[in-house]
Amino acid sequence: MRLLKKTSRTYFFISALAFIVSGVVIYFVLSFIFEEQLNEKLMSDRMSVISNIEKDGSVPHFYPFVEVQEVPGQTEQPVISIDTLIFDVNEEENIPFRQISSVVPIKGHMYLVVVRDTLLEKGDLLMTIIIAIGVVFVLLNIGLYFINKRLSLKLWQPFYNTLDNLKGFSQDMPDFKLQHETKIDEFIELNKTLENLTSKVISDYQSLKRFTEDASHEIQTPLAVIQSKLETMMQYPDLKKDQAELIKSAYSSVQRISKLTQTLLLLAKIANDQFPEKRAINLSELLEEKVKLFEDHINVKSLFLKKEIEPNCFLKTNFLLAESMVINLVGNAVKHCITRGIISIKLNKNNLEISNSGVPFPVPSSKLFERFFKINKSSESLGLGLSIVKEICTLNRWKINYVYEDGQHKFIVGF
Amino acid sequence: MKILIIEDEQELLATMKNYLESEGFLCETALSYFEAEDSLSAYNYDIIVLDLTLPGGNGLDLIKIIRDRNKQAGLLIVSAKNSLDDKIKGLDMGADDYISKPFHLAELNSRIKSLARRRHFDGTNELLFNEIKINVDSNEVSVNGEKIDLTRKEYEILLYFMVNRDKLITRESIAEHVWGNDISYADNFDFIYSHIKNLRKKIGQKHGRNYLHNIYGMGYKFSDR
Repeated sequence: MRLLKKTSRTYFFISALAFIVSGVVIYFVLSFIFEEQLNEKLMSDRMSVISNIEKDGSVPHFYPFVEVQEVPGQTEQPVISIDTLIFDVNEEENIPFRQISSVVPIKGHMYLVVVRDTLLEKGDLLMTIIIAIGVVFVLLNIGLYFINKRLSLKLWQPFYNTLDNLKGFSQDMPDFKLQHETKIDEFIELNKTLENLTSKVISDYQSLKRFTEDASHEIQTPLAVIQSKLETMMQYPDLKKDQAELIKSAYSSVQRISKLTQTLLLLAKIANDQFPEKRAINLSELLEEKVKLFEDHINVKSLFLKKEIEPNCFLKTNFLLAESMVINLVGNAVKHCITRGIISIKLNKNNLEISNSGVPFPVPSSKLFERFFKINKSSESLGLGLSIVKEICTLNRWKINYVYEDGQHKFIVGF
Repeated sequence: MKILIIEDEQELLATMKNYLESEGFLCETALSYFEAEDSLSAYNYDIIVLDLTLPGGNGLDLIKIIRDRNKQAGLLIVSAKNSLDDKIKGLDMGADDYISKPFHLAELNSRIKSLARRRHFDGTNELLFNEIKINVDSNEVSVNGEKIDLTRKEYEILLYFMVNRDKLITRESIAEHVWGNDISYADNFDFIYSHIKNLRKKIGQKHGRNYLHNIYGMGYKFSDR
C-alpha cells in the first residue's frame, strides 16, 4: 500500500469515528435543550392564559394550542404533561404535540386548561444532523487528501529520489553515488547508511573480482610456461618412445590442472555474480548450436539422438552462463551415455530436459551436484560440470531436478 | 615478416620466440611496458603479440599507441585473466584477435599466420605443400591439381596442419582449434581420429602422399620427412 493511501485511509476512519460520536452527542444535547425550552414555553403560555382569564374573564380558545373549558364540580388537579398526536388537516398527517393540562380554580370557577405545542420531530432532527455532519465530513476528507498529497509529495520527495537512485544500483558500478538534496535529518541519515552499505558491496565485489582475475593470471601463466616447454620438447626429432610417454603424461596433467582452475574460477565468479549483463537469449538456437558441437562424439559412440526442441524459446539471462549450462548438460549426457544408448533433448518454454541411457547410480542423487563428485573415481572428468549447472540454476532462480526412469538419467531444468 | 612479442614472463617469451622463429618469422621481444613503447616508437612491425598484463603499465594503453603509430600491424592480444572485459575492450580498441593462456604454440602460430594472410603480407592467398594446395579465400583444396571436397572440420584440420608443418600437434590442440574450448574436456579423442582417417583417404584418392604421422600417441605431425 502506498504511504499516501495508508495515511488517507487512517484519517478517513478516525474522522468517521469522531463524526459519528459527535453526531450522537449533538443529537442528544439538542433534543434535551429543545425539550427544556418547550416545557418552559408551555408553562409560561399556561400562566398567561390563566392571567387572561383572571383579568377579563375571556376564555381563549386557539385549537390546538390553547383549550380552556369550564369543568364545574371538578376538583383542582396539578399539571400533567403528556405527549400526544394530533391530526393536522392542512398537512394531512399526525403531528406530535406536548400538552400540559391542569384543572385550576379561577374566580370561583373550575377550569380545565390545556396548553400544547408541537414537539420537534426526532426523524427531522436526526436527518438534519446527519446531512450537516456528512457534508462537513466529505469536505474535510477531500481537503485532507489533497493537503496530504501535496505535503507528502514534498516531504517524501528525498526518499523517492533515494529509492530511484537505488533502483539504478548495480554492484558493478564503482562510481555509484546517491544524490543528497535534503535537509531532513532522517533522510540524511538514511542516505548515509545506504551509501556506506553500497560502497561496501561495491568494494567487496571489486576485490573478489580482482582476486579471481589475479588468481587466474598467477596460475595460468606458469601453466602456459610448462605447456609451451612440453610442446617444445615434443618437437625434438629423435624423441624415444619412453621419453614421449613421460612428456605425454605431464602434458595431459597440465591440461587437466588448467581446466580445473578455469572451472573453479568460473564457479567463484558465478557465486560472486560476476555475470551481470542479461538479455533475452534464444535458448532453442543456442541448444541446437551446442548439440551440433557434439555431433562427432555422438557418432563415435553410435548414440541415438532424440530432439524435441520447440523453436524460439527465449530466456532472459546471461549469455555465457546459458551457454555454459547447455554445454555442461549436453556434454554430461554424451560422456556418460552407454555406447549405442539414447540421448533425449527436450525444450519448451518452461523446461529443459536432457537425458541419457545408463545404469542406475549406486548413490543418492543429491550427491550428483556436489563438487568433485564422480561415480567412477578413475574417470578423467573433473566432477564439476553438474556443480556449475547447479550454481547457474541457483543464480537464475531456476529449479534443477534429477530422476532415473526407464533406464534414462534425466536432468530437468525448470525456468 | 617481423613480429614483436610483448610478454613479461621470460620463459614463456623464450619459447614463443623459439617456435615462431622456427616457422621463419623474424622476432623481437619486449619484457615490459617501457621496452615495448621503446621498440614501437623505433621500428615498424607486421604483427604484434601483446600480453595485456605487463609490469609498468596496462597493456590496453599500448593498443592505443600501436594503433596510432602502426595502423597496418596485425595485433594479437594474449591474456591470462580470462576476463571477458579485457577481451571486449581489447577488440574494441583495435586488436585483431584474442588468445588466452595457456595456449598451444601451434594455435598461436596458426592465429599469427591467419592474421598475416588476412593482411596479405605474403602477397598470396595460397598455401602450398608439395602436391597439396589450399586457397584460403575460396577454401578450396586441391591435390595434384584436382579439387577435393572436404567437410568444414576436415578443412580446418588440414589448414591447421599446413600452417604448422613439420611440427608435432597434440590432439588436445586440434580439438581446441576445431571444436573450441568448450568441448575439449571430453576424455577421449576418437572423434578426431575419424576425421584424420577421412582426410588421409580423400588425399590418397587423388594420389597424394600420406603426410599425417601419428607420433607415439601424443599427436600428429604433418611432414614429408
